[in-house]
Amino acid sequence: MIHVLNLTKYYGDYPAIQFVSFDVPAGKIVGFLGPNGAGKSTTMRILTGYLTATSGKATIAGLDVFWDSVEVRRRIGYMAENSPLYQEMRISEYLHYRAGIKGLYGAERKKRIGYVLDRCWITDVRRQIIGTLSRGYRQRVALADALLTSPPVLILDEPTAGLDPAQIRSTRGLIRELGQEHTILLSTHILSEVEMTCDSVIIINRGKVAVSSSLADLARKAGERARLVAVFDHAVESDAFLNLPGLTEVVPQALPDGALVRLSSPDMVDLAPKVCALAAQKGWRIRELRSERATLEDLFVQITGEV
Amino acid sequence: MRATMSLLRREFSAYFLSPIGYVVFAVFLAVTGHLFSLSVGLLTARGPKGLSYPMQLMVNDIAFWLVYLFIPPLLTMRLFAEERSTGTLEILLSAPLRDGQIVMSKFLACYGFYVLLWLPTLLYLPVLLDWQWWTWQSGIDPWPVVTTYFGLALAGAMFLSVGMLVSSLVKTQMVAALVTLFIGLLFILAGLWRPADMDTSGLAYQALYFFTVPLHFERNFSRGLIDTRNVVLYVSVTLFCLFLAVRSLESRRWR
Repeated sequence: MIHVLNLTKYYGDYPAIQFVSFDVPAGKIVGFLGPNGAGKSTTMRILTGYLTATSGKATIAGLDVFWDSVEVRRRIGYMAENSPLYQEMRISEYLHYRAGIKGLYGAERKKRIGYVLDRCWITDVRRQIIGTLSRGYRQRVALADALLTSPPVLILDEPTAGLDPAQIRSTRGLIRELGQEHTILLSTHILSEVEMTCDSVIIINRGKVAVSSSLADLARKAGERARLVAVFDHAVESDAFLNLPGLTEVVPQALPDGALVRLSSPDMVDLAPKVCALAAQKGWRIRELRSERATLEDLFVQITGEV
Repeated sequence: MRATMSLLRREFSAYFLSPIGYVVFAVFLAVTGHLFSLSVGLLTARGPKGLSYPMQLMVNDIAFWLVYLFIPPLLTMRLFAEERSTGTLEILLSAPLRDGQIVMSKFLACYGFYVLLWLPTLLYLPVLLDWQWWTWQSGIDPWPVVTTYFGLALAGAMFLSVGMLVSSLVKTQMVAALVTLFIGLLFILAGLWRPADMDTSGLAYQALYFFTVPLHFERNFSRGLIDTRNVVLYVSVTLFCLFLAVRSLESRRWR
């Protein structure tokens, strides 16, 4: 649906993004992840036609974002960063106006406005002036605006930034639901959000795509780096673990009141019973047995090289 | 077309949602009302006073031009600069609208407000024209009034288009207003003040006359004359500024 090839954007001499390429297949929710200033907003602005790329090509639904800009914009619902809105208008007035400039009229306009008000939980505040709304409500108005024409593609720039935990949860739920009808590209720097809402992820760092893969692949990658951690009440001879079949790595660590051993094996499921059996045989007392997984966060830090 | 109408309606109604529109309206009405009462005073005075042309005083007074100088900056400063500073320009430009559509609707909206400013002054006309209600004719030649409004309509378009162009170039409303004020001053200053001993047949005066709007009204429009040089100036500056405003909006795409 969204096809980006070697997109590059310079602000003067400063490259905001360089040779960014990725694809967003139809019907998927793709998380666009990266530290602040990585070029997420720049890429999204190029896709929506607000900016143009210095070089490279991007198409949405087969239309070039530069040459068919207006047609592309008809097919996009865009929620800009910080959701800028006209402060002096009422919500219903604002949506009425936005529907008008997006080419919705008459009964259809009324119907769609009613639908998005309902969908974004703002029906009961529709008479309020936008300037008096809290951040969470403003975000919802911006989202409602993006949904007005029911565009095939939604581009959401940090849709949950600045919301409280309950709002974040409901917004994520909404995004998941919308994912059934729309192709969604959403940017964020919150990792758990991607894990909860997206099908796949594109990690961008310093203007370049660092990782682009499905979440399942990432989880598998993280699984490969899983460890079993066993904590004992007393010192143990770590050499004894080497006799266990299938073990690839043993890292012992002395604790003030016992010992800790990190074990890794390609077959994590079988490892814990084996360790228990070994402990029973040797008469060791296990205080704790837990598995340690590499999280998306570890991966992100590793990729972006930031601590 | 309907999208343009939606945009136009929002831009026009925005003038009524901020205090600036009301302030401009009030000051404008106060000044024109005052000038009207002065005109009536002159018309009813004893002796050889009076007015040679019905709207002579209204558009030739220094107070009028001082106020007129401030109207375009106040009406146009918000058009693009406000949207740029609050970030709404981004959502406006990501809507399926052409740049030309956006510029035209914004211009027409602020021109509409300018026309609205002048509408109440039509109430003065029956008095100034010595209107005979029973014969439905004016007591004096009405054409100087028509040419005056014609001149005001075109000169207004020129000032507003300059203001809109400036607004499309800068980020803050204050800067837009000040720059527009300065440019407006170039067109008006010589009408407010010029050396008293200036030779009206000299080259300097001729050059000043070419672009000094108050002089056009003093010498032509308020007397019932339409000088094509003035009209060409207003129309060409208007079209040129509209063209540049579209380019300036578009420039985000080639920067």
